[in-house]
Amino acid sequence: MNQINQNNISSTVKPTWCPGCGNYAILAALRQALIQLAIPPEQLVIVYGIGCSGNMADFNHVYGLHALHGRAVANAIGIKLANHQLKVIVVGGDGDLYGEGLNHLISGARGNHDITVLVHNNQMYSLTTGQSSPTSVVGSKSKSTPTGLIDQALNPLTMAIDAGASFVARGYVGQATQLIALMKQAIEHSGFSLLDIFQPCPTFNKQNTYQWFNQHVYNLNEKEHDTSDQQLAWQKARQTDKLPIGLFYQNKQNVAHHQQIAVIKEKTLLSQALEMRSLANTMLSMS
Amino acid sequence: MQENSEIRERYSVNIKIAGKAGEGVMLSTKLLASLLQKLGLEIFTYYEYPSLIKGGHQTGQIYADSQLASCQKKLLDILILFDCASLKMHQAEINQDTHVIAEFHGKESFFTEHEGIEAKFVNCPLEKISIDTTGGKMSINVVANGLAIGLAGLKIANADLQTVISQEFADKEDSFWQAIGSAFLAGYNFALQVSTSENKYRQTDKNNILLTGNEALGLGALAGGLQFYSAYPMTPASGLLHFLASEQANFPLIVKHTEDEIGAINMAIGASYAGVKSMTGSAGGGFALMVESLSMLGVAEIPLVIVVGQRGAPGTGLPTWTSQADLQFVLRAGHGDFQRVVLTPGNVAEHFEASQKALYLAEKHQIPVIILSDKFILESYQTMSKPVDGYQPERWSLADNLPSDGDYKRYQLTDEGISTRSIPGQANGLALTNSYEHDEFGWSTEDATMVEAQIKKRQQKLVGIMQEIPQPVLLGPKEADYTLVGWGSTANVFYQLIDHFERNQQPLKINAIHLPCVWPFPKDKFLTLINQSKQTILVEGNSTGQLGQLIAQETGKIIEEKILRFDGRPFYVEDLLTYLLARHRR
Repeated sequence: MNQINQNNISSTVKPTWCPGCGNYAILAALRQALIQLAIPPEQLVIVYGIGCSGNMADFNHVYGLHALHGRAVANAIGIKLANHQLKVIVVGGDGDLYGEGLNHLISGARGNHDITVLVHNNQMYSLTTGQSSPTSVVGSKSKSTPTGLIDQALNPLTMAIDAGASFVARGYVGQATQLIALMKQAIEHSGFSLLDIFQPCPTFNKQNTYQWFNQHVYNLNEKEHDTSDQQLAWQKARQTDKLPIGLFYQNKQNVAHHQQIAVIKEKTLLSQALEMRSLANTMLSMS
Repeated sequence: MQENSEIRERYSVNIKIAGKAGEGVMLSTKLLASLLQKLGLEIFTYYEYPSLIKGGHQTGQIYADSQLASCQKKLLDILILFDCASLKMHQAEINQDTHVIAEFHGKESFFTEHEGIEAKFVNCPLEKISIDTTGGKMSINVVANGLAIGLAGLKIANADLQTVISQEFADKEDSFWQAIGSAFLAGYNFALQVSTSENKYRQTDKNNILLTGNEALGLGALAGGLQFYSAYPMTPASGLLHFLASEQANFPLIVKHTEDEIGAINMAIGASYAGVKSMTGSAGGGFALMVESLSMLGVAEIPLVIVVGQRGAPGTGLPTWTSQADLQFVLRAGHGDFQRVVLTPGNVAEHFEASQKALYLAEKHQIPVIILSDKFILESYQTMSKPVDGYQPERWSLADNLPSDGDYKRYQLTDEGISTRSIPGQANGLALTNSYEHDEFGWSTEDATMVEAQIKKRQQKLVGIMQEIPQPVLLGPKEADYTLVGWGSTANVFYQLIDHFERNQQPLKINAIHLPCVWPFPKDKFLTLINQSKQTILVEGNSTGQLGQLIAQETGKIIEEKILRFDGRPFYVEDLLTYLLARHRR
């Protein structure tokens, strides 16, 4: 069986991100995770949002869907329900998934759909040349908030935990080994997984730099942090003076959405596409 | 002579049930319609109700006819009032031959208030009969149904009565059905005491089904291989969501009520991309939210069927009333140039055909197909011939036997504009399906030559689509003094009107052109038909003549004379008849 490797996953298109952009590290980590998981190439779908992160769509030779801004999670859910044998990953940014498409993200978590959402969180709209995003901190100045942001930043981790996500984690591009491990865990997790990834934008975000992140992040200690404790995870996710990274919460006993739908318990919906249709039962009450 | 005997043999009855929301008007109308269907009558029902759950005033209407029923009629044979104070509201629909059923006991003011109204009043102790037969007041509507059948001079076989009751109250038990049956019969016997009207209607065994436009779309979609439907509730398309949701037990089908309409269309896009036939649906307002995604379907070449049920608008508008004011919106919706089909089915049978056709056209040509309908027909029950059962789903324009050289081109430039589609899970079919403009492989491109080539390639699809769309049809005689032109549910009114002209001596002749598909515009056939007309009159349920605008745009022909209705109500046969007769006299 064919497997994903560095050669066959790279498209002919060369990445177009700025030098020093965190997206390079996320792309490298994702490829590494996919290679290590040995997923058959045709059993993987990546749905990309719109933004610098979503531009990854052109760099990976996979089954890809480059969606509309904000809508990738809804697309991914449809894909998973149509063929639940596929591994379905969403790649998008904080503006895309926490702003434009927040309703879909919350619904995906509530439904515990078995998809993996990777959020390139640079606290900035960068492809549109630098406006504040839902995760920008209060007071931060940007092209759209020249006198400083009034709005509170959204906490994607507590939000996901509250919404019922069964896997919630945060990574940082400066810690590649951990990031790869978190990606693998998230993809292997059956149920909704959110992996928020801290990613500096060297061009537009002069505040949250590599240096800043290196000073602020710390690893959740596996011995001290019980990842099955939802309350504890929520408390850790609230921390702002220092920023924990790692796996916050995982419910290993969860039953994913598609596993609760009778018609796809035995086989995928797609594999039933050519089954003969009889309307007899349905027309009984109309006759 | 032959014509006369046919008239004598023809039977029809026109019934309206009125009351407050929550009094069982809807249920009672459906029950009565099903009973009349069992007699082999053609049925058309029409409901009017406000956007609330209790109180207000709502009506259910049934036109039953031994030959053709495709429109409600004004003059009633029977009016059932659960709320007898509402008689005045229906004064214009009754005459001295109309049976008005109500319970006037203890409402002495009723007769003084309505002095001068001529009708055959049937004062019936509905409540007492209901309590006597079922132990509660809840069955007054069933008692009234029995009365109506009796007054219409019809007779329901006991077996049919039991079948209908057990179907309508499927969640109840045998003892309940028995009680309901006795309530019906008590009402029926009461009618025989007050009236001995006997008709010459002979029961015929018609192999019909009775269903709403929504159910017909759903049933057709199931026949066409539908596997995924995601939607957000909105009148008048909610009925389609409910119907399909309830059919998940019978078909390889998943139905999802999503967080919003944008989620609905995008979930359906995901499912369709992953290879299952998919559909979404809403009213005009919900469709407005889907419009960016509609445009994405165009560039990414993903098949999808979208049902748009028109209701009174703009804004929240008239949620529970009908309209045909979204035609130009649906034709133009979406940024950029891309291909679409807009089907505008008329009666329930055409709705059954439309969704099958839509799923086929969408998959074959990899385009969005919109089915544009309205509250009038989506929520009206109508009979249609029972379709022949047994459907083998077919697949179209899918990639097959892909070579392992990695050269699969998802958006290959072809003469006919269709490039075969791979499906995730399929070996050697890896490709990017892209909402950005792209090259043949799917990679984003801004190259001027490729951008133009891809846009032209997609435009080419129209040539093939044009060969496959439902063409305009001429209803009625070939030659006529006046030719009515309409689309969508207005065809129902045309059928009934033309039938009226066929049965009655009139000083003028009419026919009608019905368009079951408005885009791509079927120019050739339409011109052939309209060029034969002496005087053309546009009939539309909007204030601006939106089909007229389209006809002018596509053919240069301007239809000056218009009958437009935009008060939330559908056309009545009587309206058009009055207009035509007055016009002809001028």
